[in-house]
Amino acid sequence: YPLFQRGGPQLRIFRPNFFMLAVRPGVPQPEDTVQFRVSMEMTKVDIRNYLERIYNVPVAAVRTRIQYGANNKRNHRNQRVKKPDYKVAYVQLGQGQTFQFPNLFPEKEQDAETRSFDDFRDKYMEKEKQKQEGDPRRGGVPDWFGL
Amino acid sequence: MAALGAWRLLRPGRRWFSETVPGAPSPPGSPLYPPVVASVTAKSKAAKSRRLQRFNQRVHEAATVEEKLRLYGKLQRPKYTVYPQTFALNADRWYRSFTRTVLVPGMPPRGAAAKPPVAAAGATVEAGRAPEPGAEAPAAARAPGDAEAAGDAEAQAAAVAPGAAADAVPCVDIGELRSLTCDALLQESFYQNKKRPFLYRDQDHTPGPFLTQLVSTLAASLCGRNPLLAASSLDLSPEVNYYWHHGEEVVVHGHRKGRVDPVRFQIDDNPHLQIRVPKQLPEVVPLESDLGDVPVIDHKPSKLPLFKKQYENKVFIGSKVADPCCYGHTQFHLLPDKLKRERFIRDRLEDQIEVVYRSNGIASLFAWTAAQAMYQGFWNEADVTRPFVSQAVVTDGKYFAFFCYQLNTLALSAETIKNNHRKNICWGTDSKPLYDVVEDGNVKGFNDEVLLQLVHFLLNRPKEL
Repeated sequence: YPLFQRGGPQLRIFRPNFFMLAVRPGVPQPEDTVQFRVSMEMTKVDIRNYLERIYNVPVAAVRTRIQYGANNKRNHRNQRVKKPDYKVAYVQLGQGQTFQFPNLFPEKEQDAETRSFDDFRDKYMEKEKQKQEGDPRRGGVPDWFGL
Repeated sequence: MAALGAWRLLRPGRRWFSETVPGAPSPPGSPLYPPVVASVTAKSKAAKSRRLQRFNQRVHEAATVEEKLRLYGKLQRPKYTVYPQTFALNADRWYRSFTRTVLVPGMPPRGAAAKPPVAAAGATVEAGRAPEPGAEAPAAARAPGDAEAAGDAEAQAAAVAPGAAADAVPCVDIGELRSLTCDALLQESFYQNKKRPFLYRDQDHTPGPFLTQLVSTLAASLCGRNPLLAASSLDLSPEVNYYWHHGEEVVVHGHRKGRVDPVRFQIDDNPHLQIRVPKQLPEVVPLESDLGDVPVIDHKPSKLPLFKKQYENKVFIGSKVADPCCYGHTQFHLLPDKLKRERFIRDRLEDQIEVVYRSNGIASLFAWTAAQAMYQGFWNEADVTRPFVSQAVVTDGKYFAFFCYQLNTLALSAETIKNNHRKNICWGTDSKPLYDVVEDGNVKGFNDEVLLQLVHFLLNRPKEL
C-alpha cells in the first residue's frame, strides 16, 4: 500500500484480501470477547474497520498479539520444520453484546434402529474375541500342547 | 552356669534397668516430649501451612507499624498492577470484585445534617440559628464577584460561625463560594495569558491549576466552619500505594510451575490533591451492614486486561507512619487526556464514561482507606475493628463525580475471606457539570448543586468537633 505523507489521500481498501478466522479460545475468555486468527499484516484499526464495515459488528476494543510457531520438530532429513506464526486478535464487542463459541460437534440423538445395530455389532465382536482367546479355565496357557 | 545366664538374658519380657517405681506421679505440667507438628522445610501442604502460620505470627508480634509493613511486603513476586484511571472496558465491575466493594448509587444519607441552609431559604434546624439567616441574607444579596466584599463576607461569616458551632452543619454563604469558584475558573481560563497547550497536555494546562486553586481557596474559607480542616494537611500530587492478596491461582510458567499462589495486586495512584486529617471521619453505616452484592468474576484478572510485574510492595497514604495527619479526608482526581469524554463519544462508547469515574473512585479510595487501616496496625489476618471512611472527587475539569468509601474489611486473602461476610461500600454519583461554558469573562450555566456537594464534602467531620 502507498505510504502516507501529510496532505495525502486517505487510504481506502475495497474488497480487502484479508481473512479473519474466529477460533475457540484455549483459555476461557469473558463473555464479550471473541478470539480471531488474523493475517500478520492486519493492525488493530484494520480489524476494527473490517468487522464494523463489512459485518456491522459493534467493536468496543481490539487487542492483538503475535503467536510464534515453534521450530522444534524435525523431518526425515533432520531439518527443523517450523510451524507458521500467526496473529491473534481479542475483540471486545460493544453495546453489551456477548458471544459464546458454538459447539461444532454436538452429540447426535441415535434412533432405535442405529442403536440396535450398534448393540448387535458389539455383541458379535465380543463373541469373535471369545472364540480367539480359547478356554478361560486354562488361564491363558495355549492349547496346542497338552491333553 | 553360663547357659543359665544366657537363658536369663534371652528371656523375653521386662527390662529391669529402665523400670520406674510403680505408683509415683509423673512430673506435673511439662510434657516429656516436644509437640508433634509438621516440618517447616518439607515440600508438603502441612509444611506450607506451618510456614504461613510462622509468618503470620512474626507479623502479629512486630513491635512497630513500620516493622509490620516491612514484613508484610517483604516477599516480592509478580503481581497485577491495578490502575485506577484505566481505559479498560467495564473496569469498575472487575475492580469491585477485586476489592469486595458494593457500589451504591447516590450519596449516603447524612443523618441529622441536611444540606447547609443557604441565605434565608428553608427550615433551619435549631432555634438559635434564627438570627443567622437574617445576617446572611444581606451578605448574599450583595453582588458576587467582588473581591473585597468576599473578604468582608468571610470575616462576617467567621464572626457569626462561633455562635453556630453545634453538631449540625452551619450556614454557608453560597454566593461567596460561588464567586470564589468563578474567580478561580476565570483566572485560569480567561484572564491569564497562556500559550496553547502542548499535545495531549490539556489537563495540565487549565483544569489542573483550576482544581488546585479551587480546593485551596475553598478549604481556607471553610476552615472557620470546620476545625478539622484547620488542622489538616493538603498534599499536592501525593503518592498513594497499596498491596494486597485476593483469591488463589496456579502458577503457569517457570520454576514454580504447579504451585498454588495467592493473586497479588498493587495500586500505585497519584491523586491531584489530597486532604489528610488527624482525626478519623465518622462511620456512615455500621460495620456489618450489607447494602448489595459484590460481582463475582470467574476469569483471570489478565482478561481485563491487567498485567503482571514484580517490584516493590509499597503501602503508603501520602505521608509516613509518624505523621499526625494519618487519616484521610478527601482526595481530588483529575482524569488524563487519554480518558476525555470526547474520545469516548467519538468511539461510540458512551456507557464507558461513567465507568471511568467509578473505577477511579473505587480503586483510589480502596487503596487509600486500606493503607490508612494498615498504618493503624490492621492487616488481612487482623481485620479492622472500626470502619475507615474517606471521600473523593473525580473530575475532568468540568464534570464532577463524588464518591464516599467505607472500608469494613481488609481480609481479602484466600483463607481469611472464607468466613468473612463483611463488604466494603462505595457511594458514588454520576458526573455532573459544574458550569456550561466560559465566555468573555463570564461563567455561563453555573451549577450550584455540584458546589454545594463539594462544600458538604469539605465540611464533613467527626461528631465531637
